[in-house]
Amino acid sequence: MTQAEIKLCSLLLQEHFGEIVEKIGTYLIRTGTQPLRMIVNDTGLSLDQVKKALCVLIQHNLVTYQLQKRGFVEYEAQCKRVLRILRYPRYIYTAKTLYNDTGELIVEELLLNGKMTMSAVVRKVADRLTETMEDGKTMDYADVSSTFVRLADTHFVQRCPLVPEAAETPEVPPPPAPTLVINEKDMYAVPKLNLVGKGKRRRSCDEDENHEHKAKKHKKDGEDAEPPPDDGIYWQVNIDRFHQHFRDQGIVSAVANRMDQTSSEIVRTMLRMSEVTTSSSAPYTQPLSSNEIFRSLPAGYNIVKQVLDQYLTLLADDPLEFVGKSGDSGGGMYTVICTDLHKALASLATATLESIVEERFGSRCARIFRLLLRKKHLEQKQVEDFAMIPAKEAKDMLYKMLSENFVSLQEIPKTPDHAPSRTFYLYTVNILSSARMLLHRCYKSVANLIERRQYETKENKRLLEKSQRVEAILASMQATGAEDVQLQEIEEMITAPERQQLENLKRNVNKIDASENQVDETIFVLESFIESTLKKP
Amino acid sequence: MAGRGGRGRGRGQMTFNVEAVGIAKGDALPPPTLQPSPLFPPLESRPAPLPGGEELEYMLALKQELRGAMKNLPYFVKPGAPRRDIERYSDKYQVSSPIDSAIDWSPDWRRLPRELRIRVRRLRPGPPHAPPAAALLPKCKQRLALDKEEAIKKLESLEKKEEEVTSEEEEKEEEEEGKEEEEEEYDEEEHEEETDYIMSYFDNGEDFGADSDDNMDEAVY
Repeated sequence: MTQAEIKLCSLLLQEHFGEIVEKIGTYLIRTGTQPLRMIVNDTGLSLDQVKKALCVLIQHNLVTYQLQKRGFVEYEAQCKRVLRILRYPRYIYTAKTLYNDTGELIVEELLLNGKMTMSAVVRKVADRLTETMEDGKTMDYADVSSTFVRLADTHFVQRCPLVPEAAETPEVPPPPAPTLVINEKDMYAVPKLNLVGKGKRRRSCDEDENHEHKAKKHKKDGEDAEPPPDDGIYWQVNIDRFHQHFRDQGIVSAVANRMDQTSSEIVRTMLRMSEVTTSSSAPYTQPLSSNEIFRSLPAGYNIVKQVLDQYLTLLADDPLEFVGKSGDSGGGMYTVICTDLHKALASLATATLESIVEERFGSRCARIFRLLLRKKHLEQKQVEDFAMIPAKEAKDMLYKMLSENFVSLQEIPKTPDHAPSRTFYLYTVNILSSARMLLHRCYKSVANLIERRQYETKENKRLLEKSQRVEAILASMQATGAEDVQLQEIEEMITAPERQQLENLKRNVNKIDASENQVDETIFVLESFIESTLKKP
Repeated sequence: MAGRGGRGRGRGQMTFNVEAVGIAKGDALPPPTLQPSPLFPPLESRPAPLPGGEELEYMLALKQELRGAMKNLPYFVKPGAPRRDIERYSDKYQVSSPIDSAIDWSPDWRRLPRELRIRVRRLRPGPPHAPPAAALLPKCKQRLALDKEEAIKKLESLEKKEEEVTSEEEEKEEEEEGKEEEEEEYDEEEHEEETDYIMSYFDNGEDFGADSDDNMDEAVY
């Protein structure tokens, strides 16, 4: 793990889980797999704190454990998974667009809690939805359950590995740590639950009374209630599936930009049809015949079969090569088409690189960059000629890009002694290494952004606390009914320049947060591209 | 040796033909850098403004809400309260801040390694059996087994239960040699004090001098 990644991970853990968890998480990421004793010794925290933190991390799938042969348990942190915390808002928003508020809340609860049983999720989400509804209406468990089932069917949530059903023989002591197994087929199988009920609305007026009653009731319930029927079956969010979805979105919008709306709809249909059948790292989708595509087109698009075929041909011939024709059958009447996912990712990454060069160095540098991408290797002189840029400026730009590692030099010796005067020096762009370099930079930027945001908040802590207190006073006074004059007096406790300062703070924090989301989108494109090059079929 | 004499002559002799890379003869090279690059170099081109839009604003709001929500979840582990310099009597009766050895949510212990288990003990209302933390360990186990059955009956009949959380590190180490202890349940309620007194009746004694003397019917000399 690079330093930048470790720094970013530690900042994310600290913001979301606190200092103690951050210390332990960072230690594990930095030093790799460790047993409990080592963690306690090296971090200097108390055993209880370490245990608590490990429980939290394991619950959220950030740390895994493994039983070693010698009988002790080792813990390993998943650095990549920690970095995903940055993307949680995007997951939740996607769930909202696909499955409305119910889906959004289900995914949010699962992300906040790491893993949950289905009954627990349904209950919590129903309660939350009921609170937002008008008085008198409640959310039925059945609705929430059906949305959950749909999420499971489309693979957006998956089952966690299970504790094996070991026969409890008294002689054999249970192992110090369970080895969790998961059956591929069962990963999305929803247990048959009969969840009946409605969401409960929490009434604020008699909340205090309820609290005590509930406290006593819960104690009794906790002892008497049987375990729920799906006890032990935990669900987690399937992050890879979300990534697949983002990738598909990227491809569809790229096609829409390049061609037109209809072709993007065709590509979207193709991708949707192969959603569940294609694994996330496959280079190609399943081949589909144009008939199938025709049948699955959304209802609004009544285009004739011939037009569809024309579109498909256009897509297949496009230099972007997103879509490839993998064969003709039926005498050329049916074309079989598949999407080349790896090439698509490469194009997306390349486009990102180009736009970064353009923003950073200017449009002429971008021209040189695109030229080098096209022609692969060029000499100094050739660059000047092809790009039609005067020599001095071309030189300057090339060196700037070279110093920032967007462009590299390739030596080709003419003679075996590599004499410099008799060697060709060619400029070239290596997409993979540039992508890695940029990804590293992105991690650094996000870490800087988070630090800056924390700094800003810390600087204005006193003011923020004051404003929170004033708001609380205002709210309580309004609830008990106060005159406007009094309310105005309270509001004036915050002076005008302080108000201005608060405005500035809010604006800055919003800007920084929005930038973090933005950088995360770039991180996603670059990471997907790099990952697609790593996995060899 | 021969190269040393060449220092100073000509601009700087390189091992390769400088023209090939594009530095023509007589061109002015930039001056050498004598200090580290500035901390905030001036930007040559301003970055493009952040894209707005409903989607991104919604995600922004989500992000901030998520941050706030996570701070209030039991997963946010706060460090235990720092010990005060002198132990005061009233500490026992005040609401305790997060205790290191307590865990606020109940994970599914079957899925976690045994060594991570934070066990929590309920102190029985009957003091004679209350085990001091460090001593009497093997005997404790048997006593506690008996205690538990009695206590369960007691507790089931009582309406109000008291509990206290203590750390069980030492006991656990002993256990690992011998048989396993029975599992204790940890009640997720607020830490209630181990006292039969109603909290609000407890008087700190700070108001002592300020009490009004209205009811002093005693002799007024």
